[in-house]
Amino acid sequence: MSNTVLVCDDAIFMRTMIGDILTQAGFEIVGEAESGLQAVQKYRELKPDLVTMDIVMPDMGGIEAVREICKQDPDAKILMCSAMGQQALVVEAIQAGAKDFVVKPFQPSRVLEAVQRVLG
Amino acid sequence: MADPKYAALFLAESREHLRSCNDLLLEWERTPGASEPVNGLFRAIHNMKGMAATLGYSAVADLAHRSENVLDAVRSGRASGTPELIQLLFKSVDALEKAVEGAQSGKGEPSAKLLAALDKAAVAAGGEKVAAEASPTGAAGSPAPGGNPGGGAPGAARLPARAPAVPAGHLVGVTIRSGVPMRGARALLALRRVEVFGKITALRPAVVALEREDFDGRFSFHLRTGTETAAIEAAIRSAGDVERVAFDADVAVETEGPVVAARQIRIDLHRLDTMMKLVGELVVARNRMLELMRGGDAEQAELAGNVSRLVSDLQTQVVAARMTPVSEVFDRFPRLVRDLGRDLGKQIRFEMEGGSIELDRSILDELGDPLLHLIRNAADHGLESPQDRQATGKPPEGKILLSAVRERRTVAIRVTDDGRGIDRDAVLAKAKRDGLADPAADTLTDDVLLRVLARPGFSTAQQVSGISGRGVGVEVAFARARSMGGSLEVQSEAGRGTTFTMRVPLTLAIVRALLAQAGEERYAVPLAYVAETVEFDPQAVTVLRTREAVVVRDRVIPTVHLRDLVAAKAEGVPPRRPTIILEVGERRTALVVDGLLGQQDIVIEPFDAPRGLPPYVGGATILADGAPALILDAAALV
Repeated sequence: MSNTVLVCDDAIFMRTMIGDILTQAGFEIVGEAESGLQAVQKYRELKPDLVTMDIVMPDMGGIEAVREICKQDPDAKILMCSAMGQQALVVEAIQAGAKDFVVKPFQPSRVLEAVQRVLG
Repeated sequence: MADPKYAALFLAESREHLRSCNDLLLEWERTPGASEPVNGLFRAIHNMKGMAATLGYSAVADLAHRSENVLDAVRSGRASGTPELIQLLFKSVDALEKAVEGAQSGKGEPSAKLLAALDKAAVAAGGEKVAAEASPTGAAGSPAPGGNPGGGAPGAARLPARAPAVPAGHLVGVTIRSGVPMRGARALLALRRVEVFGKITALRPAVVALEREDFDGRFSFHLRTGTETAAIEAAIRSAGDVERVAFDADVAVETEGPVVAARQIRIDLHRLDTMMKLVGELVVARNRMLELMRGGDAEQAELAGNVSRLVSDLQTQVVAARMTPVSEVFDRFPRLVRDLGRDLGKQIRFEMEGGSIELDRSILDELGDPLLHLIRNAADHGLESPQDRQATGKPPEGKILLSAVRERRTVAIRVTDDGRGIDRDAVLAKAKRDGLADPAADTLTDDVLLRVLARPGFSTAQQVSGISGRGVGVEVAFARARSMGGSLEVQSEAGRGTTFTMRVPLTLAIVRALLAQAGEERYAVPLAYVAETVEFDPQAVTVLRTREAVVVRDRVIPTVHLRDLVAAKAEGVPPRRPTIILEVGERRTALVVDGLLGQQDIVIEPFDAPRGLPPYVGGATILADGAPALILDAAALV
């Protein structure tokens, strides 16, 4: 059975891109969220194996969402998607419980490496 | 070996802390229930721990850490100040003293008996809490706070790792691959992966440096654990982008290599200060030389011209070497605002502009504090709660903008919020009560507003809702800006927001000034604040409210007569006199003087202001002919 993924990003472009990369690698995208709040709700409903989380999103940012999700499920496997220069936020996300991070612009190989590390 | 300067700083500061530790212990003994001595002790010992860890003084750091654990137990109510416990801490302060004095020579290791007693006391109060505190990825408990005496200089990170006093476990050195983004975050991820095996100590560089990406990809730490190195290495590698993992003896060799980049060297700031001072003296000597050689022959004139040019070039280069982008100070604020937003329950969008604008290092160093206050004020008092914002038709997310702009020979740094604006009526009422505003006034100008806000202790006015607390920050920013020859301005509009503008000169030491005369004396006016010079025509005098004013290009500008100001004799005043239009932000003043003597580079000489020095004096300088002159403070005159 393939691993399930919840993709959280407020940009359709990024959701599509991450979705494509992961689908081609054999993952199953079970849900998408475009805000931190949605991410928390959908995580509860879908219990995915992996979450990709954008940092800057409306209605509760990604870091806050990580904190919420980890509160409910300390073993949640969350991969942060960060833009260049968001070092401080990535650090904060790690402290909040994110398991790994990738930096935009995405290279499919690096995304998959990170995903493997998180799931491994 | 530790840099001797840091070692000296460590020694001096630690001695001070130790002195206060003894006083605090005595106080605690008298009042065992009091919390203040405990908090003071914790702070002092925590500071020593930070410094010692940075310098690799493991004996001090270790002893301080264990003492801190005991104090933390008391602080959090898990233990109480029994006579035995206080006695134990007296002993550990004595031992700390020995360890501090012997730190450099590696002597003064505390006795195992004392260490065991401290651990026992901490464990008795609930040991698991103590272990958790040492988490290196947690916000607290990093060895950095108060430590790094270089003021954030990562130099200490290059100190060779010394074998820690803790016997069990491993010294671990990790190299993150070069060329990958956010190596600091990667390093923290690796630390999180090994945290499960045991306690991490002696992390080098400190967590803050990793967070800031202020390292070369290599870091080391001690892991107190019984786990096999293979398992530790696997965990570290699972963080990704790890190039190399080394253990124990291999690590020390690895971290001792030179890290200095090929085309850059670090210069001690004091050395730059000294260079600046020397260049300053050179400028004064040059000016004097030019004065003396005036009227010499052609050859002399040429030589003088050459020397003069060279000195100018040298001055430019030294000033340039001190220039640092304001982002060095700005970059610490996004995180702060995030935390503030969370604490205050507000949604804040924080934006920064002009981070690449450069300022003299010494000015930059002075900016952090006042900006912190202004930003905190904006978040706390300026911005409304999301509910209040929505109720007034604003987006729930408030905005704070921190920007830097070059304006003539100054840099304007602004903190702008789109919040509720300052409650002028409340401030006006307060200003009237304090006699700062005309009792009949029904409006409050931005100028008076600032003066009220910047009054020491203004914040204690509880009646002034919505702005209480502003005073402290504004007072700090106001005083700091003035002390640098700059200014602070405020613009506030009800419902639309508030902007504080700190205006500072580009560099402190040498400024170009206009020399003016009044009576027998000469005065220097920094050119940064001179808008233009005009001729004072008694015929053109008018009255602005109760003050004398002149009309310059259709603008009514209040006048200040330098003669009146400095109480020069009124004899021989020419009817038509030169007038300097001073400009600080939006405000202008016409300074009427007896004569203008041209421009000159002046070196601001620091001097202790004796009490009673008039506020319009901003400093002193030596003129080209060797005579002293006072520098007028433009901000105090407009």
